Amino acid sequence: MRRVDRKDESTVYQRVVLKNASPYHYMKVCLVLEDESTRLSAVEFKCFIISGLKSLFGEVGAALTFDLLKYDEDTLTALLRVCSRGLVKLWSSLTLLGSYQNQACAFRVLQVSPYLLALTGNSRELQLY
Amino acid sequence: MSVDLDQTPRSLLISERSSFLDEKSRISSQVEQQHFNYKVSVLLPECGPTPSHLDSVLNSFSSFYLIRQLPIYELLDKHFLETAVYQGSVYGLSYRTRVDEENCVALMPNGRLCLSLDKDSFQVLGVEGKPSRFNHRANSRYVVSVDLTDSSMAPGGRGYLRLLTGLRSRLHLKTDFVLSHHPGGGASLQSLLSRHDWSEHRPEISHHALTNLSCPALPTSDLQSCDPHSFLEWLGAMDADVSCENSSSSFLSSLVCPEPKTTLSRALSVSVCGLLLPQDIHRLIQELRCYLEQPRLESWASLTVHGFVDSPVSWGGGEHGVLRGGENLYTLLMFHDHTYHLHLATGAHDTCPP
Repeated sequence: MRRVDRKDESTVYQRVVLKNASPYHYMKVCLVLEDESTRLSAVEFKCFIISGLKSLFGEVGAALTFDLLKYDEDTLTALLRVCSRGLVKLWSSLTLLGSYQNQACAFRVLQVSPYLLALTGNSRELQLY
Repeated sequence: MSVDLDQTPRSLLISERSSFLDEKSRISSQVEQQHFNYKVSVLLPECGPTPSHLDSVLNSFSSFYLIRQLPIYELLDKHFLETAVYQGSVYGLSYRTRVDEENCVALMPNGRLCLSLDKDSFQVLGVEGKPSRFNHRANSRYVVSVDLTDSSMAPGGRGYLRLLTGLRSRLHLKTDFVLSHHPGGGASLQSLLSRHDWSEHRPEISHHALTNLSCPALPTSDLQSCDPHSFLEWLGAMDADVSCENSSSSFLSSLVCPEPKTTLSRALSVSVCGLLLPQDIHRLIQELRCYLEQPRLESWASLTVHGFVDSPVSWGGGEHGVLRGGENLYTLLMFHDHTYHLHLATGAHDTCPP
């Protein structure tokens, strides 16, 4: 029945343009550690990032909510989601995180996008040789 | 300072609702205007194994060719112009060059050659061009766009010789190059391929079966009923294999499926990667429409197309660049009753999609 009702409206054309409306930004990041055999669990990984936010922005910064959408323990690669207003804060604290348990480390930001979809279709990953 | 911290670069999301049956529907031209497609992914709800018709369309996607260290002046070769560019459409793009830091080249199906060059290379080349739209303060990048089918660019003409000398004797621009030809395929490109180190590549297909997933309820009637950003986020989560089954109090992630939602017992996600032609994507859309015409449990299918991040052009030959990401993608959500929702998304360095 529902389909029949819609037939009348099926020719209606609608176009909506949304500018800067994305509520979240998504980051693909990879943690590089001096000792490559070190393993972190997903919870440890997130706590480590929170500690970075706290050391740069204090208690208020540590309250910034972000999500660890996906985490690969073998490659220490993660997908993060953060509200668009918090992107710069999160990114800067990742940049300044320099040591994990007394060993040098660095976060590599592989990709940043307002669309989660874009993170699965990065043409820079195309390998032909 | 606190104001700047909150801001992010411009992004655009354009959502359209129309019907394939509508005469004014622009879907074919919108698909065709995106020339350089890197990945297509299809999500079919309540679908087990890949339907055979769909599988045959996916397997019939055109091959593409990689030429290593192609001197760009070879694209102006008279024989190549006559056998490939004037006859049909060539899709060519420099490979492994980054448009935000290196020189990039694109040969579009309408015969236009587009060079995105840094300032030094542009001055050495000595051909008329325009500063890039995305220059910040100082002009550090220039775009040279030449129509190879124009009479002034006919082999032997003044414009032709000027560009040829610039590329051959002054700039010496060499790059790995991927290309494809419609409708001739490899045969039309043979004259160019035979003189270089080349390889043929098939688009890579991957299948992924999903089970027991929550899915937003999708009414066809209104665009606003399901927020486009939430829908694309959910689709991205399915594509990246991210779980949406979280509670709001969960420590790691609070990502959930947008409301109102339903549950699917299974779904099929298929993707194809490579240099994909708009004509092949068009055939895939037609096949999906046929698929939806049969009675099913769920009456929709979605198709997402990702453009090349480092292409110097995106929709309709408009300039494209990379700021934080070079995303230019669209998602087509098709319904049983021939209506569709089209979401076109771009990042900061892009023109508004058509």
